[in-house]
Amino acid sequence: MTTATAIRRRSGLRPSTVLATLALVFTTAFVLLPIAIIVFTAFKPVAEVNAYPPTLLPTEWTLDNLARIMQELPFARLVLNSFIFAGGVTLFALVFDSLAAYALARMDFTGQRVLLVAIIASLMIPFQATLIPVYQLVSQLDWVNTYAGLIAPRAADAFGIFFLRQFFLALPRDIDSAARIDGASEFRIFRSIVLPNAVPALLTLAIFTFVNNWNDLLWPLVFTTESEMGTITSGLTLLTGPGGIIPYGVMMAGSLIAVLPLVIAFLLVQRRFIESIATTGLK
Amino acid sequence: MFRTRFLLGAGAAAAALALAGCSVGGESDDASDGPTELTFWHGYTEADGDVLEQIVDEFNASQDEVVISTEIKTWAVIDDTLLPALSAGDGPDIVAMPAERLPVYAARGAFASLDDFYADPDSNTANLNPGAVEMETVEGSRYGVPTGFVPLAVYYNKALFEAAGISEPPATWDEWVTTAKSLTVDGNGDGTPEQYGVVLPDHATVANGLWPSLFYGNDGDIVEGGDTAVIDSPENAETLEFWRSAIVDDKISPTGVDGIGADEVFSSGKAAMTVGGPWMVFIAGDNGIDYGIAPIPAGPEAQAASAIGVSMAITAQDDVAKQEAAEQFFAYFLNDENSVAWSLGSGWPPLRTDIPADAVSENATVAALTEQAELGRPLLPGVVNSVDVLTAVDELTQKVIAGGDIEALLAEAQTAIQTALDD
Amino acid sequence: MSTQNHIVRRYRPAAPLGGRRVAPASRQRSITALAFLAPALIILAAFVAWPALSALRLSFTDASGFGKEEFVGFGNYVEVFTQPDILNAVVNTVWYTVLFTPTAVLVALGLALLLNNPHLPFRSFFRTALFLPFIVSLAVGAFAWSYLIDPQIGLLNYWLNGLGVRIGNVLQDPVLAMPMVALVAVWKNFGFYFVIFLAGLQDIPASLYEAARVDGAGPWSRFRNVTVPLLSNTFAFVVIFAMIAALQAFDQIYVMTGGGPYGSTQTVVMEIYESGFRKLELGFASALSYVLLIATLLLSAAQFVFFGRREKDLS
Repeated sequence: MTTATAIRRRSGLRPSTVLATLALVFTTAFVLLPIAIIVFTAFKPVAEVNAYPPTLLPTEWTLDNLARIMQELPFARLVLNSFIFAGGVTLFALVFDSLAAYALARMDFTGQRVLLVAIIASLMIPFQATLIPVYQLVSQLDWVNTYAGLIAPRAADAFGIFFLRQFFLALPRDIDSAARIDGASEFRIFRSIVLPNAVPALLTLAIFTFVNNWNDLLWPLVFTTESEMGTITSGLTLLTGPGGIIPYGVMMAGSLIAVLPLVIAFLLVQRRFIESIATTGLK
Repeated sequence: MFRTRFLLGAGAAAAALALAGCSVGGESDDASDGPTELTFWHGYTEADGDVLEQIVDEFNASQDEVVISTEIKTWAVIDDTLLPALSAGDGPDIVAMPAERLPVYAARGAFASLDDFYADPDSNTANLNPGAVEMETVEGSRYGVPTGFVPLAVYYNKALFEAAGISEPPATWDEWVTTAKSLTVDGNGDGTPEQYGVVLPDHATVANGLWPSLFYGNDGDIVEGGDTAVIDSPENAETLEFWRSAIVDDKISPTGVDGIGADEVFSSGKAAMTVGGPWMVFIAGDNGIDYGIAPIPAGPEAQAASAIGVSMAITAQDDVAKQEAAEQFFAYFLNDENSVAWSLGSGWPPLRTDIPADAVSENATVAALTEQAELGRPLLPGVVNSVDVLTAVDELTQKVIAGGDIEALLAEAQTAIQTALDD
Repeated sequence: MSTQNHIVRRYRPAAPLGGRRVAPASRQRSITALAFLAPALIILAAFVAWPALSALRLSFTDASGFGKEEFVGFGNYVEVFTQPDILNAVVNTVWYTVLFTPTAVLVALGLALLLNNPHLPFRSFFRTALFLPFIVSLAVGAFAWSYLIDPQIGLLNYWLNGLGVRIGNVLQDPVLAMPMVALVAVWKNFGFYFVIFLAGLQDIPASLYEAARVDGAGPWSRFRNVTVPLLSNTFAFVVIFAMIAALQAFDQIYVMTGGGPYGSTQTVVMEIYESGFRKLELGFASALSYVLLIATLLLSAAQFVFFGRREKDLS
């Protein structure tokens, strides 16, 4: 190990590393350009947004676009709804998905394969096709315009189950056989052995689920007819301009404001997220 | 989902939003005790929304049998959420939508027929603009009441007109092209003008109405009687030939733009004229453009413009009491006083032809549009599958501008449209 | 060759996608397993399986979602297979999937490999930056891209013109529109695949690379004999899910082109949305959804078999 580290250190600034860094710098710049345009356009006055030649940075910074959004939308309420909706879905989905994934990955029972195939197949039907039957059900439960109606239908998720199953399968079996010989229950093994070793996978899935639900537009629009039950993402649709056309500046400001809590949340967990990826348990 | 063009007005939505918070769900209340409660979904999100809320409030205060609460969504959102709501029987009691969306819902039984309402002399419908009523008619029955009907018009940049020494907006197609040519500037001679005389989008045009308007000008049309495709006509071939030559050869307009792009070009001062709806007033204002309004110039055979329309209808899930309550509101909405208030508040011309022009003279834009109101023709009235028909028209105009064979493309569009109508 | 066997013997690769054959289960274990599965299964049964069955029933009717509906047998399915518009949408969807899946997966894999290099400066900055687009919604991203490449006022267009590259009106070009909407999806999604690959790479024990090095393997040989076999499950997982997502392409197309120009970006899910929500032909939309489901199942099964076989070849 020590020799290897020494070898690596000596070869620190190889041409290949320089090339790799350059490639990354260009790719990253390209990848960040649309995000930069969202951020900077949010601070541009209307006339500048449509100006030619276009510029990346505003020549005159304005807070008008942001002010308009804060003024027209019940911002705090919508963000709270977004947190409850995306957070609720993530929490439930993580618990339910990991339980199911554990059974599918590390327990043997009849019908396992059939169940697995059925779960994967359920991902292949576009949600546009099932939206109406789901709505009818939620409506029968009298859950329209409630958090329950927003969260319950997504409290378990086929992608999450399959994703975690793959991860659990990869954990060596020997880690729990000792516990099993000691007479530990399956739930105990799940909770104190498998889950702690699956933190990176759980975090990845949590971010995936949270982001997708936070950004979902049609779902909250359909399941909440009262605008104060909507999310920040669905609330943005109320920002129309003349002729139903939203000025780019307002649109970008809205996007920025909608995504900002998400970015902050991500930056808060990302240290942990990346560390946990880097130091995955056992191997 | 954000940039879909749907109609309308300007102003602030804050008050409207606050009101939306107070709404009641769609569950039916016991009719025997208390007033009949109705929910009303509409997409008037701006100053027009404030006026509509005011009319609703006044209606609620004017009597004690009916209470209407509104739910404000954008037009696009109404279209996405109405179907699930109807499927579960908890849709709104009254819903407003762009007029070309009404036939498909009506034909599938979503709305109550209003024939009896129209027959009632107290309904204030007798003097509605006939074009506006036509857009409510599906298979011989009327299913809605218009809340807006306005012909597309030419909006022009006064500063650019003055700079070129032009004082009058064009009145005929030939004048339109001549004026546009003299306003087209290619200073550096690279073949791409820096300033265009006009901006004529070739697809997804404003309220899908630009090319229909041009077809009307030469006595052409797209669909007749709601069930027969008539797009493949020599008149339409001439129209397409004429405008392709002006757009492509004379370069009076940029090519490949859509309706929203056209607004951008006009509002950035890169085009002297555009065809648009009443909201252009606000777009031009926001961008500091001093504008004038003129009717779409007359074609060789006729002067007409496709109209932008909005309708409101009563959903068929309602019982008789609710339907009557909703009709009571419709009659109130269309009475003398509210017709004027709504017109001035929304910036659209009055829906009733018996409202004298001087009743709305305090708003110059509304007055100008009122003078043009009779030029308006409803877009594809009674056509259930307007989605596919409009796609076929877009494909036709886009391919023609790109240099395709007009005869062949018209024949293709004719087949596609007839198929959509027979569906 | 010896290197490979050497490694594989020392490190048992992650289980294959299809799972392993299991010994006959005891009744007690089945009951315990059911307890673990129950919460998820209840949710999935109520909000996925039942609606899917409901949609299956609708696919044999002329339902519009409300009001009367009549049984029409296989009428909707016949229509699915005979309408030229649908054929066009199928061809477009396949083309989109072919554009999107390999690009997204390879870009993600390439960047993960680059960033797995421990001497690289600013690794955590790059990792965070490359993941950022995933946080932005596809609709918003699509909106930003449309603005960047707008032929009149687009910044990217302007810069490219400055370099003498004229891309014209990309979204109105029937040839370029589809690659463009695919590019936007790649931009949005590669960050997630990238993180999954990164996790997979980090899972490969450094000792295996040391061992390979001791055996005299060069960088390519180490990649070929250590990285490839040990990453193959992750790779298969990402490919299959990227493909499933690609077959359901909708958001950015809806925002950027609406299916145009000339229907060149009209995908199957765009058709499902239009026929269900715009034309109120829910029966037909359901039938089309089921055809898509079956096609996706077949394609995924083919990939499971393909990746499964490769795993066997390697071990």
